[in-house]
Amino acid sequence: MTYVVDLERREVRALARIAPWRGRRVIELGCGDGRLTLRLAALGARVLAIDPDAECIRAARLALPERFADRVRYRVGRAGRLNARAESYDLAVFSWAL
Amino acid sequence: MVHALREAHRVLAAGGMVADLRPAPEHRRVSIARGGRTRLIGTMRESFREDHAANRAVDRVVGEGWFAVERRLRFDCRRVMDTVAELREWLRDFDTRRGHSSHEWLARRVERALDHGTAPSRIVARGPLILNALRKLEPAPRGSRARGASSRGGRRARAR
Repeated sequence: MTYVVDLERREVRALARIAPWRGRRVIELGCGDGRLTLRLAALGARVLAIDPDAECIRAARLALPERFADRVRYRVGRAGRLNARAESYDLAVFSWAL
Repeated sequence: MVHALREAHRVLAAGGMVADLRPAPEHRRVSIARGGRTRLIGTMRESFREDHAANRAVDRVVGEGWFAVERRLRFDCRRVMDTVAELREWLRDFDTRRGHSSHEWLARRVERALDHGTAPSRIVARGPLILNALRKLEPAPRGSRARGASSRGGRRARAR
């Protein structure tokens, strides 16, 4: 696919307005193919990105740039039952997932 | 949805935040951009049932005292595609995920419109997004340790 979403990067600007992201522990719910995940990583966040679709997670892992490899992890999972410790994240992003 | 928000509350540190990013319940417009001009081809016929349910879920967890709304932002978002095949793939994914009736009619309309021009063109789907920033409140409401919804919480929310 060659389509471009949010050409003007308004999404990123809006996210940057609501919180500082650098160094923050972020859990992203409904990451799909990881489009927004990479933008969160570019803002400096450390992201655990979750999606129930294993195929999407596989594609996202393949598309993960080397420069974000130490900051992004992908996992198959559901928003309603997170396999995560209590109080272990600074931000939870529902990425078109609520 | 309420359960997912409560689960997010559990994994967030004190003072943590939920960022709820999703399309606004507004019909997206599909246009063709060609030579600096944009021509509207059609307006999508989405159902907003899930969007309204998500809004109700946010209202509920706020009403129950799990989160406070810190900011609500709304902004335009464009999805730009080069080919009808890309539009079709996006529409198919969109229809499947959201349980809509098919938007194939829109793809055909775009196809016909593209047949009439020779200049390079792009397909643009446009619609607003919303971003809700919800700050975690503590302590969590009573009964928060139990998985699943608490009907007491619901009644309390409605009473406010």
